[in-house]
Amino acid sequence: MTVRRRIPLWLRGVPWLALLVLAVVGICAIGGDDILPADPNQLNLADAFRPPFWAANGSVGNPLGTDNLGRDILSRILAGSRISVIVAAYAIVFSGGIGALAGLVAGYFGGVVDAVLMRLIEIQQSIPSIALALIIAAALEPGLSTVIFVIVLTYWAWYARIIRGEVMTLKGRDYIAFARVAGVGTPTILMRHLLPNIFNTLIVLATLQVGQVILFEASLSFLGLGIQQPDISWGLMLADARQYITNAWWAITMPGIAIMLTCLSANVFGDWLRDRLDPRLRQL
Amino acid sequence: MSRFLLHRLLQGLVSIVGASIVIFLISRLSGDPVQILLPSDATPEMIAETRRTLGLDLPLWHQYVIFAWDALRGDFGRSYRWQMPALRLILDRLPATILLAVCGLIFSVAVAVPVGVLSAVRPGGWTDRVGRIFAMLGQAMPAFWVGLLLILLFAVQLNWLPAFGYGGVSHIIMPAIALGWYPVAAQTRIVRSAMRDVLDSDYIRLSRALGTPERWIVWKYALRNAAVPLLTMLGVYFAAMLGGAFVVETIFAWPGVGRTVVEAVFSRDFPVVQAGVLFTSILFVLSNLLVDLTYGIVDPRIRDDR
Amino acid sequence: MNHWRISVLAALLASITAGAAAQIPKPATGNLTIAFAAEATMLDPAKSSAGVDQYFFGQIYEQLVRPDPSLKRVNWLAESWSVEDEGGKPVIDVHLRQGVKFHTGDTLTSDDFAFAYNRLRDNKVSKWSHLQASVEAFEIVDPYHFRIHFKQGDGSYVADNLQLWAMSKAYFDRVGDETFGNTPVGTGPWKFVSRTIKEDLKLEAFDDYWNPTQRPTVKNLTIKIIPEDLTRVAAFKTGAVDWIDSVPPSMVEEFRKMPGVTTASYVSPNNMYIAMDAIDDAVPMHDVRVRQAAAYAIDVDAIIKSVLFGQGERYAEVGKGEIGYDSDLKPYPYDPKKARALLAEAGYPRGFDIPCYNLTTQREPYQKEMGEAVFAYLSAAGIRCKVQGQEYGAWISFGRRDRPGHIDGFYSNMWGHGLPGDPGTPWAGHVHTYVPGAGWGITSVHSDPELDALIEQLKATMDLPERDALIRKIARIKHDRVAGGLTTYRPIVTFAWHDNVTFVGWPTPGFWRNLQQIGLKQ
Repeated sequence: MTVRRRIPLWLRGVPWLALLVLAVVGICAIGGDDILPADPNQLNLADAFRPPFWAANGSVGNPLGTDNLGRDILSRILAGSRISVIVAAYAIVFSGGIGALAGLVAGYFGGVVDAVLMRLIEIQQSIPSIALALIIAAALEPGLSTVIFVIVLTYWAWYARIIRGEVMTLKGRDYIAFARVAGVGTPTILMRHLLPNIFNTLIVLATLQVGQVILFEASLSFLGLGIQQPDISWGLMLADARQYITNAWWAITMPGIAIMLTCLSANVFGDWLRDRLDPRLRQL
Repeated sequence: MSRFLLHRLLQGLVSIVGASIVIFLISRLSGDPVQILLPSDATPEMIAETRRTLGLDLPLWHQYVIFAWDALRGDFGRSYRWQMPALRLILDRLPATILLAVCGLIFSVAVAVPVGVLSAVRPGGWTDRVGRIFAMLGQAMPAFWVGLLLILLFAVQLNWLPAFGYGGVSHIIMPAIALGWYPVAAQTRIVRSAMRDVLDSDYIRLSRALGTPERWIVWKYALRNAAVPLLTMLGVYFAAMLGGAFVVETIFAWPGVGRTVVEAVFSRDFPVVQAGVLFTSILFVLSNLLVDLTYGIVDPRIRDDR
Repeated sequence: MNHWRISVLAALLASITAGAAAQIPKPATGNLTIAFAAEATMLDPAKSSAGVDQYFFGQIYEQLVRPDPSLKRVNWLAESWSVEDEGGKPVIDVHLRQGVKFHTGDTLTSDDFAFAYNRLRDNKVSKWSHLQASVEAFEIVDPYHFRIHFKQGDGSYVADNLQLWAMSKAYFDRVGDETFGNTPVGTGPWKFVSRTIKEDLKLEAFDDYWNPTQRPTVKNLTIKIIPEDLTRVAAFKTGAVDWIDSVPPSMVEEFRKMPGVTTASYVSPNNMYIAMDAIDDAVPMHDVRVRQAAAYAIDVDAIIKSVLFGQGERYAEVGKGEIGYDSDLKPYPYDPKKARALLAEAGYPRGFDIPCYNLTTQREPYQKEMGEAVFAYLSAAGIRCKVQGQEYGAWISFGRRDRPGHIDGFYSNMWGHGLPGDPGTPWAGHVHTYVPGAGWGITSVHSDPELDALIEQLKATMDLPERDALIRKIARIKHDRVAGGLTTYRPIVTFAWHDNVTFVGWPTPGFWRNLQQIGLKQ
């Protein structure tokens, strides 16, 4: 009789590559300036437009080349991950939190509260999100906090709508009715009975959002109303590189590849999580 | 049915009015167009005079009333920057945006349907694998980056396609791809799961047993049914295309509403921002209405939902 | 008659007719399509507020005086003019050129300039009405002779090519304000045909144009508007357009080497500088040594070479070709050691932290990158910049003094000296102390009584040689004290055209985008 070594069921199918990329991004974000190969804001005009190390005139000192001010692109990409992580984290936590709360309250209480919420959501969803974001960013001073604020304002409605649907389904269940009869207070019902059951959904929604949030921030920064210098954002790097697209193809491809890998990994991980936790959300 | 339609139309109207108030308030808080319009050494008197001429010295509620009253009669004010009515500026450019959105949608459907079908029929096959990767990439790349890469490759390096503007078919290929790539993943998923459900159903099994060729079953019978969920969602994707158009038009110098509104936001050209966002909202609401309508026709159970 | 006399007679006759024919210019023929990178929003000179508007109306309207292609001032619609003194107050006496026609056929007379003056000083029409503030009266002596009476000296009138535009009063009275603005009529070499916003402007050569030699030789001109660099370059390379302005700086070398293409580079009359707060006692730049340290800390030449692809001209205080240009006054050299020594001497051996404001919306090529480079150099020398980006709307409000607060650090700014160039008005705006309500120092964060007095004197000086001497004097003081900001460069703009096009660049109106002498080779 042979003893077969089996991968435990829960470890099978885990997207290792995606997790690896996300881990790298996370480490760069937390690690700070010390782990960067070079100072991402260090100008070196004499070294401008150096191509990646595998091309002629490239050097290993600047593995992915330099931009038009001689700054090391690899260091800037790694530094940019910090902004992406911060924006994604804050934006998702706040929009998820606010959205979930709104959806919880509206779904449970129904009536006027629900009607008002639905109207708000509809108004919000009838304005193209990038237009709304641009106008709000132009009104407030563009920067990191404005970007987070704008993203929260754009995405809370999505969470609210779905959570509301969940809650409306759940509140008809027997155990909720029993709790009410037993005299359990409303806040307790919301927090201890409903919330844990929608938690899975919330987690899945949040991970699916990571990619979207990163893309949205990149678009906003690209248009000039997102992250501002001296903060480094991948979208901002692409905006800067656009003017010399014919001189330095690497400046316009490398930051984009960073965005792509991060979003891809987040999406793959989110899909896997969704399949494990709540396959009903497949339509999303 | 008509009650449902009326109800949804009313809802849509409320949304549009609400949107216009929101945009009005926020844009007027977004900064001072007067200082952008005047020379940098304009005197304070000149600034005050210009503000008065543009009606910007009135209280906000008064400004909104004037705007709403004029808008109902079709007057959306004059662009601060271009000496022409804002409505003309927007309406002249609306067709270009709609064209771009439609072409983006065509591209995404043209990719999603074959890939979705083949994934369902031959799971694990190379079309399935390649298709899935293509779809996943689309969801992971910003549309503007796709556009820039396409320009870099096809316009700058290879010189096959023009990098700009509005002309013939060759001008719309790259913008349509950049715009339409994102929803491919979701659409493929819809087609694939719908196809799988249909292929497992009894009447398909019956057809197979009766000897109908597989190709017919897949492409004629199954697809027709699998198309339904996709078609009902088309409105949502059209709205998504409209949203993505803002950035894509800017990259490709596409003379559409999106680019005009982006420029207007930067130059604080309130009438143009107002008119542009309003008309895009109208299109949004109409597309979503279409989705609900099709859903309502397809699945009567939904109709009773709020 | 013998054969000899007949041939002499024939030769004489031939030369007379040839001479006569040479006086009558050949009618223009042919079509030409060109592209501009920016377009006008206003076609009426009286209502215009942006320099870029001249790109369009500058082809249609003309002024009394203008600089020629070598930047020398020549009389244009003015046959002659002079500044006289009448009872202690200056008077500009102008004799108008006779026989100049508007596009509608009306003849240009003093009435038209009186009409222009009244429009330009009406603050309900013109955004620059304050420029006419020193004028007391406009006196018409006869249809070709008028006198502008001033309350006091106004140097800007002389510096700005006598400011007035030839606008047809008869046309305005016939068609009214709206049509006057949409369908402009002037005395210039080009007639307005049509305009599509964000697309193109169509012009037709004016056959009855007054100048027989300096005029276009092509009949129909289409100016396409292509703001995107790649697009404009592609249109040029494929031959869709035969002439472009604004070759992207990163491609200038490539264009210069292109076969069948001619390029011409001109200095753009926009004077870039770095403003610095020198009015607060608490701010380090209050000390002249710190300001000088900033000047030594920045390697402007390296920035021009690397960031601007060489498309910039360094200037000390007044650029080459401008009135008051002093070739002996050299810009600050790059000397980071000296910068640090000066900082230590001023009491900042370890440097200091200061906010630095950079304009992120592009008004000149690579301006944002230039600002980043400048602030990086400052930081390297110890003036640690906390860089803040501002988009245009925020930036322009921030720079004005008529708001609570003022620029509290370094601020990337610019103020063009015009063409051929005179720093009077710019210095009044950013070097003179801010005086609320009086029009001085609207964006100034400097205060120096000696400079203030000299600048006020300059404003009243209408004699050109006197202005030249006074400007040189002010420039030296301004340079030594790094007053009103640190000058950096003037951008260089390059035009390109295919070899089938003939073009001579005129500086105004239109900041070199002037199609006075453009044509197709026969």
